[in-house]
Amino acid sequence: MSADTPVDAVELTSTSGASAFSPDNPAPVIEPPRARTKRTPRATRTNFELYGWLFMRLSGIVLVVLVLGHLLIQLVLDGGVSKIGFAFVAGRWANPFWQLWDLTMLWLAMLHGANGLRTVINDYAERDATRSWLKALLYTATAFTVLLGTLVIFTFDPNIQ
Amino acid sequence: MSTATVDNNHSAALDAAESTDAHLITVTLRVRRYNPEVSDQASWVDYKLEMDPKERVLDALHKIKWEIDGTLTFRRSCAHGICGSDAMRINGRNRLACKTLLKDINPEKPITVEPIKGLAVLKDLVVDMEPFFQAYRDVMPFLITKGNEPTRERLQSSEDRERFDDTTKCILCAACTSSCPVFWNDGQYFGPAAIVNAHRFIFDSRDEAAEQRLEILNDRDGVWRCRTTFNCTDACPRGIEVTKAIQEVKRALITRRF
Amino acid sequence: MQIHKYDTVIVGAGGAGMRAAIEATKRSRTAVLTKLYPTRSHTGAAQGGMAAALANVEDDNWEWHTFDTIKGGDYLVDQDAAEILAKEAIDAVLDLEKMGLPFNRTPEGRIDQRRFGGHTRNHGEAAVRRSCYAADRTGHMILQTLYQNCVKEGVEFFNEFYVLDLLLTEVDGVKHTAGVVAYELATGEIHVFHAKAVIFASGGNGKFFKVTSNAHTLTGDGQAAAFRRGLPLEDMEFFQFHPTGIWRMGILLTEGARGEGGILRNKDGERFMEKYAPVMKDLASRDVVSRAIYTEIREGRGCGPEGDHVYLDLTHLPPEQLDAKLPDITEFARTYLGIEPYTDPVPIQPTAHYAMGGIPTNVQGEVLSDNTTVVPGLYAAGEVACVSVHGANRLGTNSLLDINVFGRRSGIAAAEYASTHDFVELPEDPEAQVIEMVESMRDATGNEKVTDIRKALQETMDTNAMVFRTEQTLKQAVEDIAELKRRFQRVSVQDKGKRYNTDLLEAIELGNLLDLAEVLAVSALARKESRGGHYREDFPNRDDVNFMRHTMAYREVGDDGTETIRLDYKPVVQTRYQPMERKY
Repeated sequence: MSADTPVDAVELTSTSGASAFSPDNPAPVIEPPRARTKRTPRATRTNFELYGWLFMRLSGIVLVVLVLGHLLIQLVLDGGVSKIGFAFVAGRWANPFWQLWDLTMLWLAMLHGANGLRTVINDYAERDATRSWLKALLYTATAFTVLLGTLVIFTFDPNIQ
Repeated sequence: MSTATVDNNHSAALDAAESTDAHLITVTLRVRRYNPEVSDQASWVDYKLEMDPKERVLDALHKIKWEIDGTLTFRRSCAHGICGSDAMRINGRNRLACKTLLKDINPEKPITVEPIKGLAVLKDLVVDMEPFFQAYRDVMPFLITKGNEPTRERLQSSEDRERFDDTTKCILCAACTSSCPVFWNDGQYFGPAAIVNAHRFIFDSRDEAAEQRLEILNDRDGVWRCRTTFNCTDACPRGIEVTKAIQEVKRALITRRF
Repeated sequence: MQIHKYDTVIVGAGGAGMRAAIEATKRSRTAVLTKLYPTRSHTGAAQGGMAAALANVEDDNWEWHTFDTIKGGDYLVDQDAAEILAKEAIDAVLDLEKMGLPFNRTPEGRIDQRRFGGHTRNHGEAAVRRSCYAADRTGHMILQTLYQNCVKEGVEFFNEFYVLDLLLTEVDGVKHTAGVVAYELATGEIHVFHAKAVIFASGGNGKFFKVTSNAHTLTGDGQAAAFRRGLPLEDMEFFQFHPTGIWRMGILLTEGARGEGGILRNKDGERFMEKYAPVMKDLASRDVVSRAIYTEIREGRGCGPEGDHVYLDLTHLPPEQLDAKLPDITEFARTYLGIEPYTDPVPIQPTAHYAMGGIPTNVQGEVLSDNTTVVPGLYAAGEVACVSVHGANRLGTNSLLDINVFGRRSGIAAAEYASTHDFVELPEDPEAQVIEMVESMRDATGNEKVTDIRKALQETMDTNAMVFRTEQTLKQAVEDIAELKRRFQRVSVQDKGKRYNTDLLEAIELGNLLDLAEVLAVSALARKESRGGHYREDFPNRDDVNFMRHTMAYREVGDDGTETIRLDYKPVVQTRYQPMERKY
């Protein structure tokens, strides 16, 4: 490699406030969003994450059956979507089998989704405060939906006016 | 004199390599530079170089440092992919600069070089490796045995040795951990490298502390955070099947429980 | 400036440093200073194995190993040390296995062993399987295993601390070790480490050659620091050239490749080693093979259009064997040469590999300030040291052994010294010399560039002081180096900062290389014989009458400030092996 090869160094973005820093007064390092803390996290010795991970896989498999079955019945068979009405729902929920089906689907879907969102929040919310607020919101919404749905399924009154 | 013959031969080869400019190409190296003693802003700087396409990215960085700008800072040592000093993000992928030949990464377009992600940038391509090594140390990466030591070696069959061979190749370069999107956003995650090194002992038939290591990795920041994006496997310069190793640890945890 | 106080300070975190640290940490308050992160050391590049007469696969004993080591070193080996090396090799390997090192295994589950250059059965009868290995990454496994055990023992590391000076304090007319001065790369701060015992384990200095298997960071920092403080350097003219480096790049292809059956061929496809070493053939000792390769090249039987290399032929070996036993080097050939070793021979040439010489020590690792006097509290181990177990030429697999045997010994000895002695006072202004060195380098405004001087140094060393040497070429080297040292006075660095100033670091490293290259050339010029790695075409024979002795080089500073190198000699320790002609 000869030293006289044509060389060119071009700075693409201009630097501002260059004079503010010096060897004795360096700028702070560029920190990643959430650096590992010096303290080693204490072991919780629970299997929560393991069960969470397993639950996602198992509920996923069950949900495929439940949801596809649900869609097939609701939208394709027997006249398709046009048949759905108050009477149809009332008729279905008169049968405990369908009650159980919908209840399982509700619980699994909500917990599956909530757990998924929980990991997304864990992964991507940078600040501790943001993370806890988002999670609080998520858990509240999940609990509300699940409870309300459960209530409706069990207390559904076909004779309501 | 006969010595001269050797030397002539030797240098003639190198001269030939240097004098025929035909095979030299112009490459642009676009380096992410940060010097906290000058500015608090990182910036991209382009360097145009005449290089042999068979040279390494590390050679290009050396050429910049030695001939254009001595302030360019990066770590390097062995220069052939053994020491793990020079992991960096080249064209958006984590690689070792000394194992990446220019011809293999399309030298016609500018080649971007940045520090690996998820660790604090100290200067140019130098990052703070301490959190990475801390995660490594936290998985107890050493052989733990009980009872009296045998006088001779512990016996181990070739099959048992083969079981963890893949993960013994790790050189702790951090290419895998710093390619993991989970780690980018949450440094508390142990990361692929630490799990690989735990795997190396969990599946070593001589070790008797698999239970403890599994317990550590069963936690919030352990293997369950892995999203199997396979970035780590792609990034590993040693060809370790990192994601597979992580999956094997997960499987060990599940089979232990059920 | 900060002052730290430790019982034992270890300089360098490669194999020898970490092996010493594991012992020293158990016995004393220990700090390890290293200019790289611990697992970055060049120990990790060692491939082939670690010799020990375990006799796991065939008949072997440590006495044969001792003989091979002495013969391999062309009888310049101190025989008492070689005996210790071979005897303690067995425990050294077993210790590593117990620390968790994943050796390859025999069908019975024992540590597998393979053949290696110069290792023979019954004093040279035939090649013996003595090298304990883990594929072709034995050094990597040793380094990782030692680091793992350092983590286990809680060894205190100071990473990216570059030791620039050794502190000696005179007590009752005797120089005692007081500590070291280090430069913190991250901040540019100077740290004084006040210590009772110091172990140098800072590795080799091969970077003054151009074609070398050595890392960029192997710049002889420990040797140079000791030398500047008036301590001698032993046998620096003996440098090993490994026969099989990747052509032009110097990257090492293990001798294990030939141990597994690889063959060296010239352009006619001839297995030329049969001519030079009828018994051991391709597995003769490294200096013999390197000279044979260059002889082939000089006589016009080299390969390629320039005829400047030969081939390492692995094509007759089954791919499964290459994958299982030599995975890394086959990958090197693919990555760096674009060659598929299953089907094509690999172009190789000898590459500068290992410094046999270094800081003189006795078998406890204690550093000597002359032929016999020990410097209290100062130890050295590994490539930086010269015990001398390698003599004029190191046998393959004996360096991984050296770092473990003498790393362990010096670690124990230093910690025991530290626990039975008090701190000696630091000299006045302990950091003064380092601050002066660093500041003057940082502020220099000369017009010379580090890279130009380094390139010129490597050029002259490759041309004049490599495998073949003569009076004329060595004089040329001495002259060139003197001129380069003058130019080095005018060197300046571009980076004037404090944080991670690797530009400054490289300049200081170059200064070390220049000092050591000069010692090599001067010592080589004075040794008018050929022995092991040192081959003089004008004196092609070994001369046991005049040169069966170790070279000891001292730095002398005259009243007018001029530096000269004074050479002295030290007798070789001989126990039971009389020098014989060396044939393979």
